[in-house]
Amino acid sequence: METPWFAKRPVSAVRPGDHAWLAYSGAAERDAVIGPFVREGLQTNEKVVYVTDLPPESLPGLTPAPRPGVRAGDPADADSQADLRAGLAAYTRTGQLRVIARRDACLDRDGGFEPAMMLDTLSREVEAAFGQGFRAVRLTTDHSWVLNGPEAAGLPRMLGCEHRVGDAVSPSTMAMAICQVDRRACPRDQLVALRDTHEVLVEVNPEFDDGILKIVRTFEPNGLRVEGELDAARHAVFAEKLAQVSTARRRVHLDFSRLGFIDLGGLGLLAQHATRLHADEALVLDHLPPDVENVIEMVGWHRLPGLTRGGDGLPETEDVL
Amino acid sequence: MIIVIRTGWATVSASFTHRVLPYDGVDEFLGGALPFLRDGVDAGDRVVAVTGVGREELLRDALGPAAAGVEFADAATWYAHPTRTLADCLGDADNTAWQGRRLRVLGDPVWASRPPLEVIEWQRVEAIVNVAFQGTGASLLCPYAASLPAGVVAAARRTHPESLRGVRAVANPGYMDPWAYSALCDGEPLPPPPGDADALKIDRPDLYWLRAYVSDYARQTRLPEEGVQRLLVAVTEVVTNALRHGEPPIVLRLWTDASGGPALVCEVTDEGRWPSGAAYGLVPPRPAVDGTGGETGAEGGGRFGLWAVRLLCSIVQIRAGDGGTTVRLRLALPAVPAESVNGV
Repeated sequence: METPWFAKRPVSAVRPGDHAWLAYSGAAERDAVIGPFVREGLQTNEKVVYVTDLPPESLPGLTPAPRPGVRAGDPADADSQADLRAGLAAYTRTGQLRVIARRDACLDRDGGFEPAMMLDTLSREVEAAFGQGFRAVRLTTDHSWVLNGPEAAGLPRMLGCEHRVGDAVSPSTMAMAICQVDRRACPRDQLVALRDTHEVLVEVNPEFDDGILKIVRTFEPNGLRVEGELDAARHAVFAEKLAQVSTARRRVHLDFSRLGFIDLGGLGLLAQHATRLHADEALVLDHLPPDVENVIEMVGWHRLPGLTRGGDGLPETEDVL
Repeated sequence: MIIVIRTGWATVSASFTHRVLPYDGVDEFLGGALPFLRDGVDAGDRVVAVTGVGREELLRDALGPAAAGVEFADAATWYAHPTRTLADCLGDADNTAWQGRRLRVLGDPVWASRPPLEVIEWQRVEAIVNVAFQGTGASLLCPYAASLPAGVVAAARRTHPESLRGVRAVANPGYMDPWAYSALCDGEPLPPPPGDADALKIDRPDLYWLRAYVSDYARQTRLPEEGVQRLLVAVTEVVTNALRHGEPPIVLRLWTDASGGPALVCEVTDEGRWPSGAAYGLVPPRPAVDGTGGETGAEGGGRFGLWAVRLLCSIVQIRAGDGGTTVRLRLALPAVPAESVNGV
């Protein structure tokens, strides 16, 4: 199903005027998108507004990456935690980082979600940013709690809210927003309805992209999306990325829907990787383009043991993301 | 000759046979073919008769009830492509042996309608069979009519270790070492490319641009879309090999050839010399049926690569000598414009 009215962008390419949608499959995917969104804003003199009840140091994706040889609880680990807290405190003091509790941003007196209040909060923050000297404002919040909440009116309220946020952000030359929802928080038809109130789909930054080959991490299913052309000039980087997603004894899916070419060495590399997998695991090739599949069939699937043909058509992420 | 007996084949005799049945007339054909097929049915072999429709009727009538134990296959389909047919038949032989049985094939190829270049490749396959099927225990009998061109029958005596005379197998004195015969197939120098062939010197290791160039050219011919992709995979493999092991300059040429069946020809030349004994990708890699590894795609640019290139193209011609190396890939073009091309 083509969805040409959506622009799909990696998080680092989100720009003012974008009202973007992130339906994440789990914390890893969310952190890989929201982490860079917040970090890059702070590093480039842009204001970051995050509506959440979490303290700044617990924002998704901001926890310092574990360093080699440093275990959680080690003094060195405590140091980096302290560094992070100190840094975030500084951003908070200058007003560049605004972490606003839900109660203050969008809840009515009874603790219910109040879209109009959310709109007011965001407008206020965006207007203030210009005077504060920031060149742009990044807005984000996770709406999963609204959908999970006891109110049956959660979805209609959210749809109303999203339409108005969209109307406010799209013409703006300063504001950009990412609306997060846990994909597991609501049924598929609701996800689609919510997604349709956005014009930009945001995803993780590619692991690799040189204009000829693009490798993007996928989370559900676990694996990689491989776009463009794979040949000997890029075997090494592909093997490296493949190894990175193959660590946790999980099935690895390769989404080949946009693969234009793979050479024999590349197929050999896949087979070689597959033979090293645990006995009941396989390397699954999803959404094979007919031309590529024809080549594999001619060579013979049985000569590439450990490779399994996966699903047809477009990946599900394509229409719900 | 050494017979390799692998574990897992212990229940089958490893004595592989590959015999020619020269015949003049139906009686001599049946005189050799019938006992061969009947013995197989009696022994519990997997028996396959590859032949034309007329011959199938003849054999069915003559076999009587035993015909039920014979699988008949149409020669035009079975002998579709030298490398593919060899690989498929070898796969059948391996699988049958794995089940503790013997594969027995009566193979009556179609010789008359084939262009000369293809005939050479089929004759080469007849020789390579003697190497590839070692240890499978399979029995192959190839009938050759006396009415065939003399050269075809003479070649058969060089590529089959034995002839069947009645029911007796006699050694062919002219039988040649399969590799020597294969080298003979490559003895003729290739005709030079036409003067107006598109030529491109390859000096960058990134083959993205090369593929764009080749597919542009191929899409102006009648090559169907899936053929374009096969060509791109084959060219990439050959050029990658040349960049790794050859010597510059590496030159790619493209043209269409109307002689001997219309084809898109893609030639890659370099100044390098192949080491003596280099594999030409003629023997199919064995899949790891017994779980002990075997030869998989993991070899990438090695023997597997060149073999797969043969599989992807109609004909591959290799000339590796002191004057450098030439690999010529031919992809057959449909005689009339394809009504619908594969793909989306």
